[in-house]
Amino acid sequence: MNSKHEKLIGQVKKEVKKVMEESVTRNFIHEESGSVTSLCGAVEACLSQGLKRRALGLFKTSSTTALLHKIAKHCPEAAIISKKLQDIENLDPNRRSSSSSDSLTKPLFQKSQTVITPPSTLPQPKYLWIRLALFEKQLTKIIDFLVSNANKFYDKDALVTDPDYGSTLSSLLLGPCALDYSKTKTPDHFWTDPPANELVQRDRISSAQSTPPPVRRPILNIGRSLNTSSEETGTVRNSSQYFAKDYVASLHQNSRATLLYGKNNVKVFPANSDITVPMLGYLSLHQTPIGLIIKWTPNQLMNGFAEEVQDKSIYWEFALHVKLDEIVYVHCHQDQDAGGIIILVGQDGVQRPPIHFPKGDHMLAFLSCIETGLLPRGRLDPPLWTQRSGAQRKRRRPLTTLSEHEESNRDYVFRIIDNSLDKEILKVKRNELLDPNASLPEKIRTQLGSTSTTSSDSSTKSFSIDQNVPDSPPSVCIQTVCDSMRRQIISRAFYGWLAYCRHLSTVRRHLSGLVNSKIISSEGAEEGITLEKWKELCTDGVVSNHNEVYRLCYFGGIAQELRPELWPYLLGHHKFGSTKEQRHELDEETRQAYENTMSEWLAVEAIVRQRDKEVQAHAIAKLSSESMSGEAVPAPQLQRDLSNDVFEDISDDDYESNDEHDPAGKRTSRLKKTERNTIKYESDEDLEEKVDEGHEKDQTKFELDASERSVVDESEKKLEAEYNEKNAKKNARGTGTNSEIPAVDAHNGCNHDELKDFIHNVIVTNPSVDISNFSCEPDSPTRERDRLESVTEETTRNSSLDTCIETHGLASPARSACVSPASSNGGVYSQELLENFGLNLHRIEKDVQRCDRNYWYFSSNNLENLDKLRNVMCTYVWEHLDVGYVQGMCDLVAPLLVTFNDESLTYACFCHLMERMVENFPCGNAMDSHFANMRSLIQILDAEMYEMMHAQGDYTHFYFCYRWFLLDFKRELLYPDVYAFWETIWAAQQVASSHFVLFLALALLETYRDIILSNGMDFTDIIKFFNEMAERHDSRGVLKMARDFVLHLQVLIENK
Amino acid sequence: MASRKKVLLKVIILGDSSVGKTSLMNQYVNRKFSNQYKATIGADFLTKEVTVDDRSVTMQIWDTAGQERFQSLGVAFYRGADCCVLVFDVTAPNTFKSLDSWRDEFLVQASPREPENFPFVLLGNKVDLEPRSISSKRAQQWCQSKNNIPYFETSAKEAINVEQAFLAIAKNALAQQNSAVDLYNEFPDQIKLTNTQKPSNGGSSCC
Repeated sequence: MNSKHEKLIGQVKKEVKKVMEESVTRNFIHEESGSVTSLCGAVEACLSQGLKRRALGLFKTSSTTALLHKIAKHCPEAAIISKKLQDIENLDPNRRSSSSSDSLTKPLFQKSQTVITPPSTLPQPKYLWIRLALFEKQLTKIIDFLVSNANKFYDKDALVTDPDYGSTLSSLLLGPCALDYSKTKTPDHFWTDPPANELVQRDRISSAQSTPPPVRRPILNIGRSLNTSSEETGTVRNSSQYFAKDYVASLHQNSRATLLYGKNNVKVFPANSDITVPMLGYLSLHQTPIGLIIKWTPNQLMNGFAEEVQDKSIYWEFALHVKLDEIVYVHCHQDQDAGGIIILVGQDGVQRPPIHFPKGDHMLAFLSCIETGLLPRGRLDPPLWTQRSGAQRKRRRPLTTLSEHEESNRDYVFRIIDNSLDKEILKVKRNELLDPNASLPEKIRTQLGSTSTTSSDSSTKSFSIDQNVPDSPPSVCIQTVCDSMRRQIISRAFYGWLAYCRHLSTVRRHLSGLVNSKIISSEGAEEGITLEKWKELCTDGVVSNHNEVYRLCYFGGIAQELRPELWPYLLGHHKFGSTKEQRHELDEETRQAYENTMSEWLAVEAIVRQRDKEVQAHAIAKLSSESMSGEAVPAPQLQRDLSNDVFEDISDDDYESNDEHDPAGKRTSRLKKTERNTIKYESDEDLEEKVDEGHEKDQTKFELDASERSVVDESEKKLEAEYNEKNAKKNARGTGTNSEIPAVDAHNGCNHDELKDFIHNVIVTNPSVDISNFSCEPDSPTRERDRLESVTEETTRNSSLDTCIETHGLASPARSACVSPASSNGGVYSQELLENFGLNLHRIEKDVQRCDRNYWYFSSNNLENLDKLRNVMCTYVWEHLDVGYVQGMCDLVAPLLVTFNDESLTYACFCHLMERMVENFPCGNAMDSHFANMRSLIQILDAEMYEMMHAQGDYTHFYFCYRWFLLDFKRELLYPDVYAFWETIWAAQQVASSHFVLFLALALLETYRDIILSNGMDFTDIIKFFNEMAERHDSRGVLKMARDFVLHLQVLIENK
Repeated sequence: MASRKKVLLKVIILGDSSVGKTSLMNQYVNRKFSNQYKATIGADFLTKEVTVDDRSVTMQIWDTAGQERFQSLGVAFYRGADCCVLVFDVTAPNTFKSLDSWRDEFLVQASPREPENFPFVLLGNKVDLEPRSISSKRAQQWCQSKNNIPYFETSAKEAINVEQAFLAIAKNALAQQNSAVDLYNEFPDQIKLTNTQKPSNGGSSCC
């Protein structure tokens, strides 16, 4: 029965906490907030449990509403609410009178429905009378009344009848009753899942310690030590803020402490200060593992904590934090006008500052909370509640009753007595086994509990037998008790040690592979590789001390301007110890290989494009025939005429009209239009705009030209010129043209003469197609023209970029010219290969178009960078067609490209990067092992988190880490942070761990562990949280924490 | 967390990459359109409170990665779905062609209780763009062949039909949830095999 009460009260506590929390974080709480409804539901559950049906005989339904009406005669507060309730019901006869009449049949812990739209259109809000009583601040008094008259209305085993729970219920509700509830509707007044932002902010306010709470394995748990160390060194958290957090935590009930009592506007005369006026503040009582704690926080600190911290810092000195263990006497002074004063006197006889309660029963409520909190191990003497003999438990309120009868004796002194201390521990103290500090059984339990792992459950039980000893008759031999305790302690210590050893062996077995065994010191490496350091390391262009480079990079990162130079080393492209000349040569080779590969796939791309055109033309022809048959569009908003659609491409309608009125008749016949229509690759908005521009340019170009043919000739000449130029360059470099550029296909190849002939041929036979392609292709005309110009202008620039643009430019006419079905079959290329590459090509294009477009490098002003990205990506895929393009690869290329701004170097480094990363993609199997390792790591380094994840069900598969591992956290961070993460990951392979990503993931998770734990987040909540937190992490903190995790694990494994 | 007390409808959006899944979701939930969405990696979801038939429900809309290579991830996300939204791009015939495989894959991985009655909704997105290559007639034919899936032509960019489509999605999901509960009560041990027949309708094979 008691466990049921416990549950009911626990639910109320939880809901009270939620309501209080909501009111604090939002600065208001709405009447229809979900948490209010839940609270009412929990109260309802308590009140309806054990309700006597007979007592409400006059009413049809045995509901708490009926109970309210019943007690209205005797209880003035209930009368008020009862009247209001009737008024509301009279307003709307349709409404059923008993809002909660059916509650008895419902599960006690049901989650109630929240009402969203205005109440007038919807059924009555649930638990109406409880709501009303809450809003009218009468609920506590009504429940007090019920509790004191419990025997009339409730069964003997009802919660309300129970002396402890009954009063706890009413005192729990003091807080919510003191709030003001708002009726104003705002868009966000419903308390739904708070966004990640709010969660982080709440945690910042409320988290007392960012360390793991009661830990089973303190020795293994590194969260605590790490966090504290980071706090000590960290500049952000100063001591007062830490203090602040600790204090404001008292607002909330958290996993470590139970909030037993809270009251605002309690006055305190601060000690040791020159302030003479009592200050108002929030008084709260907490049950924590180390005992009861009374806190009082000045109001100045309570409101808007985030602002003006410096002004408020002085108030922290006034805040109270009293452990009840240290208190022996509680002096109570009653004053009719001013309410009550409580003075706490410690073991040393020192008085704590007096606490002034406002008028009302607050002091009594506070004392009764203390008394409840002290149970079962302590008590107040004399007891606050006395029990009369007999079956009936009748309560008496000593303070109030006395004040009524005897004017003189309004002061009371309570002694706080520790039962266990009295009867047992004092004697046990002599036992050498016991540390004198751990004189309280509670403490023994926590300490022992913390060392034991697997056997904790059973031994806790056995130990609790001892704890029952105080209640057993005094005839029990003290010697037996001592022996028993000694045995318990020794066995527990042994089991703890055993479990620890087992645990360690598991750690070594499973995790030793995750970190390097050799611990490398971080001494003097915090600065990373600065320009000066680099000058030292790189003598005459040769870097010999590669270990130092790795070490510095791992612990401190690389200066931004050195990244383009250093990354190729870290990724393995450049070799340590190589000379400048060697590296230059290597780069040159890489570039040529890259160009060759590009020319290969560009040729294939041309074929693919042609095939696409044909396919599209077919599809559109089909669609046109369909739409001609007069098919209506179901969408009412869609007013477009479908039959027109057929003849439009994305170059928009203006174009069409221009066309018709074109006096010069430069356009080709309409017959070719379908062909032209097919050329559509992108539908991106940016591109569309670009296309428009492109058309204008093209049109002017066309107008200038005398004839179609001349256009072609001109561009052809240009191309030829470039080609010769390129060849000339290459020849100058000493390599043969023909051997260098493979003649891939007679029709599409890049061989100079063939190409020339080919263009001529095509143009002669089918000029109109060529023209229309030139003018209407959404993508290439503008860019191509630009490229052509840029190439001719910057012929001196001998960079790979130019070369590939040339190549690209060469391929384009070939692409557009390639109309014969024979050529689209692909010559030497197999059908399969063409399809495969074509598919990849489309995917790459789609993803390149939306890769970090909000970052300046890939913005609409730098479209040429998108081309570079695309080229690198296509080259990689062409070389790795078995892997193919998988979404996410673009994200991996992008930071490299931004850093190097050089296609071939990016390509080479990307290939090295992919050696490791490719396993993460769906084709590999690294992801599963990452998840498994994550699981082990969390299990060992944060048992509490692990247990929670386990309890939440199936989210030990860690899908929320998927993107982290797939992209090395690229999507989680801003660009500068990505650089820092990446170079640390690369260097970590040599310095500390080749699985550094795991530790980064762990650190990221641990950064928010308190939020995750206190909100009991499940799989979906965590996914949402981290998606919302993307690009908002504290990267330096996470990096440091990850390095600390590695070090910790290294120490753990080494320490044999 | 706090909102569990409400009716929660889990909706999965599927379709080829860059058909506009993320855009549709964001247009519906945040009434915003951006052409700077990145390719979705893994999965993300947004929630929205809606009132359907006087019931207040929370829609949990899951946006997934479009590349079929990531389908193996699906099983983690598809589970417990109340409705599946299939999206294709009306200007890209291939995205229409792969609808069948998306649907089948979903049914296999989510293994709903009654595959033949599981609610799907088809959205033909990007109707603001030209030229169309999939006519609405053809899309409707496909829907008819799949047990009359509701079909909407939408534009996430222009916010055309998005609201209506998601309302229908919510309704179907709610109906599914209610019927699933009934079914569960009546036949707790019913096992259904998910061998979805693939009717080869003429429309989907040629384009």
